[in-house]
Amino acid sequence: MKPDRTIVRAWSKAQSRIGRKQATPSILLGLVGTGLAIGQAWCIAVILAHALAFGLAGGTTGGGVAPGWRPVLLFALLALARALVQVGQETRAASAAAASRRRLRGETLTAIVGLGPALLRRETAGGLTALVVDRIEALDGFFGRWIPAASLAILSPAAVLAVVWFVQPRAALVLLLCGLAVPVSQAVFGIGAAVASRQQFTAMARLQSRFLDRIRGISTIVLAGRADDEAARLGVAADELRRRTMRVLRVAFLSSAALDCAFAIALVVIALLDGRALLAGGATTSWVGALLLPRSLFALILVPEFFAPLRTFALAYQDRMQAAGAAEALDRLAAPEPAALPASAEAVRTVAAHGVTVAFENVSFSWDRTRGPAIEDVSFRIPANETMVLVGPSGCGKSTLIEMLLGFVAPDSGRITINGADLASIVPQALSQMSAWIGQRPLLFAGTIRDNVLFARPDATAEQLEAAIRAASLDGFVATLADGLDTRIGEGGYGLSGGQAQRVAIARAFLRNAPLLLLDEPTAHLDPVTEREIFDSLKRLAIGRTVLLASHSSAAHAFSGRRIDLLQGRMIHAQTAVSA
Amino acid sequence: MSDGSIPSTGPAGLSAVLRILALWRRHAIGLALGIVLSIVAFLAGLFLLAFSGFRLAGTGAGLILASGLLLRGLGAGRVLLRYFERLATHDATFRALADLRVWFFRRVARASSGGLGFRRSGDLLSRLVADVEALDGLYLRIIVPLAGAVIAVPLLFLLAERADLGLACTVATLLVLSAFLLPSLAARIVSRDSRALSGASAGLRIAVLDLVGGLREIRAFNAEGRMLAGVQAREAGLLSLQKRLAARTAIAGAGAFLCQQMAILAVLAALAGLLFGRIQPILGTLVLFALLAAFELVGGLTRAGALAGNVANAAQRVLDSGPDRQPDQEAARRPGQPPAVGTAISLRDVAFRWQADRPLVFEHLSLDIQQGARVAILGPSGSGKSSLAALLLRIAAPQSGRITLGGLDLADLDETALRTRMSWLSQSTHLFADTIRANLLLGRPDATDAELWEALDQAQLGDTVRDLPEQLDSWLGEGGAGLSGGQARRLALARTLLSQAPILILDEPAAGLDAQTEQAFLSTLNQVTGGRTVILITHRLTGVERLDRIWRLAGKTAAAAAA
Repeated sequence: MKPDRTIVRAWSKAQSRIGRKQATPSILLGLVGTGLAIGQAWCIAVILAHALAFGLAGGTTGGGVAPGWRPVLLFALLALARALVQVGQETRAASAAAASRRRLRGETLTAIVGLGPALLRRETAGGLTALVVDRIEALDGFFGRWIPAASLAILSPAAVLAVVWFVQPRAALVLLLCGLAVPVSQAVFGIGAAVASRQQFTAMARLQSRFLDRIRGISTIVLAGRADDEAARLGVAADELRRRTMRVLRVAFLSSAALDCAFAIALVVIALLDGRALLAGGATTSWVGALLLPRSLFALILVPEFFAPLRTFALAYQDRMQAAGAAEALDRLAAPEPAALPASAEAVRTVAAHGVTVAFENVSFSWDRTRGPAIEDVSFRIPANETMVLVGPSGCGKSTLIEMLLGFVAPDSGRITINGADLASIVPQALSQMSAWIGQRPLLFAGTIRDNVLFARPDATAEQLEAAIRAASLDGFVATLADGLDTRIGEGGYGLSGGQAQRVAIARAFLRNAPLLLLDEPTAHLDPVTEREIFDSLKRLAIGRTVLLASHSSAAHAFSGRRIDLLQGRMIHAQTAVSA
Repeated sequence: MSDGSIPSTGPAGLSAVLRILALWRRHAIGLALGIVLSIVAFLAGLFLLAFSGFRLAGTGAGLILASGLLLRGLGAGRVLLRYFERLATHDATFRALADLRVWFFRRVARASSGGLGFRRSGDLLSRLVADVEALDGLYLRIIVPLAGAVIAVPLLFLLAERADLGLACTVATLLVLSAFLLPSLAARIVSRDSRALSGASAGLRIAVLDLVGGLREIRAFNAEGRMLAGVQAREAGLLSLQKRLAARTAIAGAGAFLCQQMAILAVLAALAGLLFGRIQPILGTLVLFALLAAFELVGGLTRAGALAGNVANAAQRVLDSGPDRQPDQEAARRPGQPPAVGTAISLRDVAFRWQADRPLVFEHLSLDIQQGARVAILGPSGSGKSSLAALLLRIAAPQSGRITLGGLDLADLDETALRTRMSWLSQSTHLFADTIRANLLLGRPDATDAELWEALDQAQLGDTVRDLPEQLDSWLGEGGAGLSGGQARRLALARTLLSQAPILILDEPAAGLDAQTEQAFLSTLNQVTGGRTVILITHRLTGVERLDRIWRLAGKTAAAAAA
């Protein structure tokens, strides 16, 4: 559970490298912006110096030739250019961040799809969705602000420093010293903040998630009559969260106070030094003053420009912290390598007309070695077009056997063959084209009923779709809906009952028309009447196919065929044929 | 709430924001202090900038001593002030947000007892929580700088006016433009876009949820490519919306920047004796530096304006999430009622539908449940079993007919009397990310450890918990992670048993458990609920339940069946 800092560091290093490449245009534009700002500072200095010299000399042009319109116009032009560069920099940074998010999301989704259904054994769909949508969305700041800011925090002050050095070396020295103090103080207070936040981290995370958790479970709280108590406790927790957060912020703000301090010192020292120098030189009336004054003003005006990128960098630091949480979650997903495709993929040598024969030969499998095998030494054979019923309590390994046959997981030992070919040698695509699967609760995707049935075969003709819907006895129910097949179901749509949802799944299987049919407790959540009706449809579906049905014992009698009793992953009884 | 009279149809959620602000009255002093400190810090910064320029500019005028001293004082003062300002504003924000969270919780709780939260998905609620968090920026990034702007504009005008009236007008206009007009323009644009944006991100969320939740189907039907393409299409839509928004925000930011530059330009022109009458150089310098400081304060407001669009929408959604009825209606339940005698439940001629446009779930439904009886209510899916549970728990109210508890109308009972009398267990009973002890205490806050262990033993979970290293203080992850499905259900049962409610409503308590675990669970129920009324709502019986009576739901009403 502890945040693994090496993972986070490695991750953000790797991501920064890729992100920086994409952020290059935005960083370059940022540098151009700094250059333009330096130009503007010079314009201001020239105008100001002349005005002061002019004013103090009592209205005569004692300070030299009047600069006239030129610096004013130049300032205006530079301002326009700076505005354009700013827009360019920002939109480039945004699109670089968007590209990074798109890449990361693509990688994550590919990893999820690659890991396949086995992933759902250790992660929840909600958690994975939050990772793919929210966590990656929250990385916007990391790619869009932190990465360019990290580069510009060095490049821009360096550029300002170089120019000031050329014009007013003493001021540059002051800037350099104050600027160097910033990373030092940042490190000191940053470490302090990190220590403070590490101490508070677990407690803060718990308090933060507490609110969300209480809101999710609110009906449980209300129905237990505890709403007032919980509200009071939530208030205490929120206050606790505030105190802990403030404890961290008190240290963290010191680092930005240090930045302010450096800024103020630079300003004061430059002002005092130059003021004294000017005074000593009898500034205002002589040509020395006329030369020195614009330079001193120039250096002074550039002080904020020198510190601005550092301030942006300090602000973007929290974006980097955001990335830490995402890094861990993404790392957890990437850790197990997705199984490589078999090197020599031989196509399965069968056609539906001849049927599919399935055989398990001494198959063993465990999900987690510490918990012992889920399947132990299971052997059986299903001849083409026959039915095998797996019976046993849940957790005995029925679903695991079916998932192995679907290729979701591979056996630890033993082998599974289809028409004599090892399952491991069949390309996943060929395997799934051969089989249709119906589980306990079919997933209905957000979309119309038509979309959901066509999911099994998007290129099916209207006649094939209609035939499948009729065969699954879905037509009667669809006829009662105002929008018929175009009724929206799934998230935010019309809710289907368990029986209706299962009929959609059966229609999918009919449309799929695969020679191997895998049924995993298809009636587990249905009442007896609906269960009977669904079994009638399933029996029609089973004709002419090889069927593996996992079910609890009472429902098993509906199907005629062979039967295997499983208990804790072992076959305890095998029966060659049953007649219903 | 006195502010309930503000019409919610106001422009762009402004009234929603005002209502949220009204909730923060309790922290008015802290919030005001934060604003004052921020203004003082700004003024100090302004003087620092101004005097450092003034000092250089005024070298010939012999002002060195005074300004040098001022510089030193304000230099340190500014840093300290900024530090304390940050502490004060953040502390005030967190206090106000803490209040807001509790207020929001109470509000959703009230809506829940009206049936809203009961049927709402956890995902939607999480999004609402995110909305509450979006209100973070309201004070820190909008109100505080706005208050500063209100001070800065007249200050600058007065200062510039001493130099030249025309210049003062120009500068003040530009400042107003970038502090008030541009931000509100940005807010309006973003508020329109942010609605499209939240639609697009909801679309992406649904597509991802489908992909992740449907991994089995996708693998079984070879749909990887199709589904990924679907998600990527949604993502592309979202990204292009975000891109447009980013471009608009950037342009608004550039607009604010140009305002600042034009103001500086005006002062420079005046200093050079162009456009305006030539102004006194020292005063002009002062105006210039004051202007820089003012724009430093106001510059962030355009971006904050873009944020305000989001904040207003979030505030509106948070307010919309509450109950439709006014809280005083709730108080209208007469507390002076005589306490109900006994726990017999009776439904007479009840008609019910969830919404006016939905078909009736019940019509002429009548049934009786005696005190201490063990009753099963059976029915196929869609026959209204969950609706019946909702009616008994007063999560929903019947359109006509009467439901009585101990002879009193259910609608007249006050909340506490009702909730202490009924305990509810279903597959959606939530286990909290908290210790096992805290989860159990929800059933009875004053239970002793011995009672907790007894309840755990009754639910046949005692040995499992004893094996855990921290026993009762073991932490459960979110949604009860760390326990298997059957164990989680048993923990919820232990909590239900711990409550001393005389009526237990068990809505498909064993759904999702395998046959053996289900039978063990139900036979546990037979042994441990002595004397209490047990209402078991289920789609089928396993044969191990000990029952006095069975009701069958069918055709919008209930019929008695043999026990």
